[in-house]
Amino acid sequence: MVNITIDEKKVQVPEGTTVLRAAEQAEIHIPTLCDHPALTPFGGCRLCLVEVQGARTLQTSCTLPVTENMVVTTDNDRIREARKFVLTLLFSERNHFCPYCQVSGGDCELQNAAYEQDMTHWPLQPNWKTFDVDASHEYFILEQSRCILCRRCVRACGELVGNFTLGVEERGADSSIVADLGTPLGESSCISCGVCVQVCPTGALIDRRSAYLGHDVELDKTETICVGCSVGCGIEVYSRDNHLVRIEGNWDATVNRGVLCKTGRYLPLDAENQDRVYTPMVRKDGKLKAATWNDAIKTIADQFKKSPKSAAMVPTRLPAESLHLFKQLFKDQLQAATVTSIEEGLNTKLPTQLAAELGSPFEGALEEIEKSDCVLVLGADLAKDHEVVGFFIKRILPLGMELIWAGSDNNAFEQQAHQVLKPKAESYADLLQALNAALVDKPCAEFAKNAGVEESAVKKAAQMLSKANFPAIVYGEDLLKNASMNTLKALVELGHLSGTIGEQRNALVSVKGKANSMAAAQYGLDQPFNISDEQAVFIALGDDCPSQKLIKRLEKAPFLVVQASYSSQLTAQADVVLPVENWAEQDGSYLNLEGQLQNAVKSMPAPEGVLSNAAVFEKLAAALGYKLDSTGWKDNLLKQIPVSAILD
Amino acid sequence: MTFFRSHILVSIDPECQAKGAYQIIDALNDELVAQGLIGEVQVLETSRIGDPAAYGPDIMVYPEGVHYVKLTKDDIHNLVKEHFLKGRAVEKFLVEQAAKSDDELGPPKPKEVRVVLRNCGVIDPCNIEDYIAVDGYMALAKSISELTPEEVIDTVLKSGLRGRGGAGFPTGRKWQFASGSKGSPKYIICNADEGDPGAFMNRRVLESDPHAVIEGMAIAAYAIGSSQGYIYCRAEYPEAVRTLRIAIKQAREFGLLGSNILGSDFSFDLEVRMGAGAFVCGEETALMASIEGKRGEPRTRPPFPAVKGLWNQPTNINNVETYATVPQVILKGAEWFASMGTEHSKGTKTFALAGDVNNTGLIEVPMGITLREIIFEVGGGIKNGKNFKAIQTGGPMGGCLPASDLDLPVDYESLSQAGSMMGSGGMIVMDEETCMVDIARFFMEFTQEESCGKCVPCRVGTRRLLEILTDICDGKGKAGDIETLEMLCKQIKQDSLCGLGQGAPNPVESTLKHFRDEYEAHIFEKRCPAKVCRAMIRYEILEDACTGCTVCARNCPVDAITGERRQTHTIDPDMCVRCGICLQVCNFNAVTIN
Repeated sequence: MVNITIDEKKVQVPEGTTVLRAAEQAEIHIPTLCDHPALTPFGGCRLCLVEVQGARTLQTSCTLPVTENMVVTTDNDRIREARKFVLTLLFSERNHFCPYCQVSGGDCELQNAAYEQDMTHWPLQPNWKTFDVDASHEYFILEQSRCILCRRCVRACGELVGNFTLGVEERGADSSIVADLGTPLGESSCISCGVCVQVCPTGALIDRRSAYLGHDVELDKTETICVGCSVGCGIEVYSRDNHLVRIEGNWDATVNRGVLCKTGRYLPLDAENQDRVYTPMVRKDGKLKAATWNDAIKTIADQFKKSPKSAAMVPTRLPAESLHLFKQLFKDQLQAATVTSIEEGLNTKLPTQLAAELGSPFEGALEEIEKSDCVLVLGADLAKDHEVVGFFIKRILPLGMELIWAGSDNNAFEQQAHQVLKPKAESYADLLQALNAALVDKPCAEFAKNAGVEESAVKKAAQMLSKANFPAIVYGEDLLKNASMNTLKALVELGHLSGTIGEQRNALVSVKGKANSMAAAQYGLDQPFNISDEQAVFIALGDDCPSQKLIKRLEKAPFLVVQASYSSQLTAQADVVLPVENWAEQDGSYLNLEGQLQNAVKSMPAPEGVLSNAAVFEKLAAALGYKLDSTGWKDNLLKQIPVSAILD
Repeated sequence: MTFFRSHILVSIDPECQAKGAYQIIDALNDELVAQGLIGEVQVLETSRIGDPAAYGPDIMVYPEGVHYVKLTKDDIHNLVKEHFLKGRAVEKFLVEQAAKSDDELGPPKPKEVRVVLRNCGVIDPCNIEDYIAVDGYMALAKSISELTPEEVIDTVLKSGLRGRGGAGFPTGRKWQFASGSKGSPKYIICNADEGDPGAFMNRRVLESDPHAVIEGMAIAAYAIGSSQGYIYCRAEYPEAVRTLRIAIKQAREFGLLGSNILGSDFSFDLEVRMGAGAFVCGEETALMASIEGKRGEPRTRPPFPAVKGLWNQPTNINNVETYATVPQVILKGAEWFASMGTEHSKGTKTFALAGDVNNTGLIEVPMGITLREIIFEVGGGIKNGKNFKAIQTGGPMGGCLPASDLDLPVDYESLSQAGSMMGSGGMIVMDEETCMVDIARFFMEFTQEESCGKCVPCRVGTRRLLEILTDICDGKGKAGDIETLEMLCKQIKQDSLCGLGQGAPNPVESTLKHFRDEYEAHIFEKRCPAKVCRAMIRYEILEDACTGCTVCARNCPVDAITGERRQTHTIDPDMCVRCGICLQVCNFNAVTIN
């Protein structure tokens, strides 16, 4: 620990702490612009200048590490003069006409800093030159006039997302933020994760959707989790008058620490444009007609009672509580022939079986990936799904991590990989055996040949894995598709041989499917959905989007119930439609891909007459004369051995 | 169609342009007009004729096919007279003649002491044996076989050698820090990103004596325990890069670089990295970022390179001249080196003397010599017998010192106390016809262009300074400008991240201090005392001197001059664009500036 004095206040902080963070700890405010807690210190804006005893010049507190007995002053005439000067220059640099900017009035850090320094006017003339506006991007706009070149966006794009789309072109006063080598944002390598917009201190990067919809103080903010996929990122939902305005990554969330992908940030907003189902509907005379809840539920109960064979399906996006009720209702009580989830256990069935066979979880924690020096990605398209896991990998590439990418499809990750392995479709078992053989210096040519991969490539990959001190393996859907238990066993063996699974750490991670993929597996909702002569089918679609395959499969169902938030092709072909809450309107628990049990918090009220998924299951159970247990969901999660240890 | 008896082709290769090809073209046209040859000889632009590095700016005269090289605009008058009027080729500018002469570095002038430049022009840089013959690599051998790393550092410490890149940090202390820093590997970097306009001391050393630098780096590597070094050389020095690469290859072949040098346990190898032309990459942290492949921008210190440098490893970074000095310090001893110079600044320093001085080029003088001695003894005095006005030292971030400072001893402390700096060794002498506001504007144009853009004070502040200075030079200065300039200078110096921003206001601050009256004349009287700033000067024709020859009227590009033949001509000040052609073409000195 290091002892320092800031404004006559004694503070003790760990070695390596910057003066700025030490001051924060002592609850002493130092104004900043280019600083962001999630990014490496930059020292460019010079607003955080402080006086250090013995130092000739003022020092930037954001970059200065503390030293024993350092004496710091954060506020005096000299410092105030310097800060005001910096702000004066910033306001003279570009067109910062606050009244025209959507973030002014509280959300602009530049304006706030100016008020804080009692600035009442521009001491230097503003720059009347016009600057470019890049409005080519689907989700946000880059307005160069408002840019103060703090490079938070550039650093976030590189350090947090590992995408390196944003950069700076030119020098000095001609510097400007560019995508790639000056490509319009919309045509650039941008992956629309929006982290740059989230870190922009001014109105330079403006979110198209939320611009001019109100300042942060006028919006309702809810801390919850994203249910876009099984990563379970922490998010902040901003809404106003029951409308979704904006979603941001939660910097304090342990899973994602602020970053978010397009699926989490922008797609839920796009979903708001879909047609909502507001009332239950029952098909009468071939047409869907509005009905009361009681009529609708009675119609369903009657049909299910008289059907000797029925089926039910639930999305893995629902909270564990709802999944548990669904499972009790259809599997335990009604004993329907097929009760499963939309994923049909594709991502979880085999691993769950293996865990049962091994008698213990065999997968590790997500955070291990970032500590790795070699990552093997097996059959997981991290550029499309579970993108945040992809960010964790991409962002450590510049630190010297070696990436091995194995998959049968083309993938954006391929270009960045140090070694690419492209096995033939469904020949991961051979590839894994080849790697395992190479790791113990046994001949691997035969396996490699079977997998359709060059022997030298396998050997090189094995070499990289064995050389690594902290290897990690991420696997996904493509590996599990039609895989046998042998494939998975070979994978676990690879984990042990390479040191990915060890006594101290376990860095084997599967990305699984949707938000509650693992919970659905724990409730046994992982059967294939094979229906033939089922008379009644219940699809609890929730706010999910039905796949064409599912729609096709249900075309001939004699009696189809669809419980959905939005109307779709599937609700159109249903006999009864039940309106339910969407993700933002419900509370509930989610088990993410590494076994963390997290809470989703309701951020908006549901429209009147729309019930929660759980309420619908309970209503139906009552009509069928069943009693459901709404408390045992948590105990039941642990009834079978999970693939990774469940952390509450 | 007009037929010309001769055609002059002027090379406008970029390097020739940089060396003033267009001034040559202008001078040629002016001379042809003045000597009445304008209808007979035609001036044309062409691409490269000879090697511009060696010969530029050069011209080719057809149909004779005579190649004149290394011209300056001052040569044109005689050249045109001799070649086109008298019809004889001018020997002085012919190729063979030019190749032999060395206009950068002549024989030592009075008061010069050559330590760093001792081998320049003496040995063949591409032959390692030449270097070995003049005791080359003896210091490295001595260090490895006779001295411990601590003793090497101790010798350098005792010699009093200070960083020749400009900041003047004691070299031995720097090595001590890097040596004491934990971490492996450690790196050695040579800063050869010489970017000061008009300065070329380092280029000359790299081109003429590359092994001295390599040897110095190897000694430093031995002292701090490094086995890998980088020379960061600007890409604008292709010849230096070429000689360095040859020298490194030869040193490897001779076992003076590589594994187990001279049979010892010490291993060291070198690589040349080229800079992409950013001035700021001469700043050590920006230089390291550039070597790492990142945008060349400085970062705050601490941590210092000795603790966390290249790729976050302990790194020692020195300038070309510093490394080139080291072998001789080791060989001849700390006492020998410390015997030269002042109390705190030891040894010798190279300078690139430029501007309105008779002997321009490279010089090497002992520390402590006065500016007066440099200008009037080494430099041979002011050109054309004019009066001295100011000297600018230390490159674009240095200050301008007036005649009252001429007796200042040249050492780190005196120069910075006077408001200038040692810098890497640029020295520009200005005569009485120089406008100091214009000079300040010129340097500010350079620094604001070269600001990296990372920190606000430098990025925006230098641009604001330039705008105000440009306004003043354009006659648009207003009351309060001087105060704004002073405020900007003070804050930019105090708040900027690196040396570039902290030094950028120096030319403005020093001229404000010593030549404030010139600023005031520009702002309040709308008058440029040196008659340089176009917006504030008027070209007039003296009634008594004008013969009415009409040359000026015929050459005026905007027809601002009127007058009958053999009558006094007049210039319409409203139409005049102040191009100065009339002044240049008048054979009777009848045009004056007011």
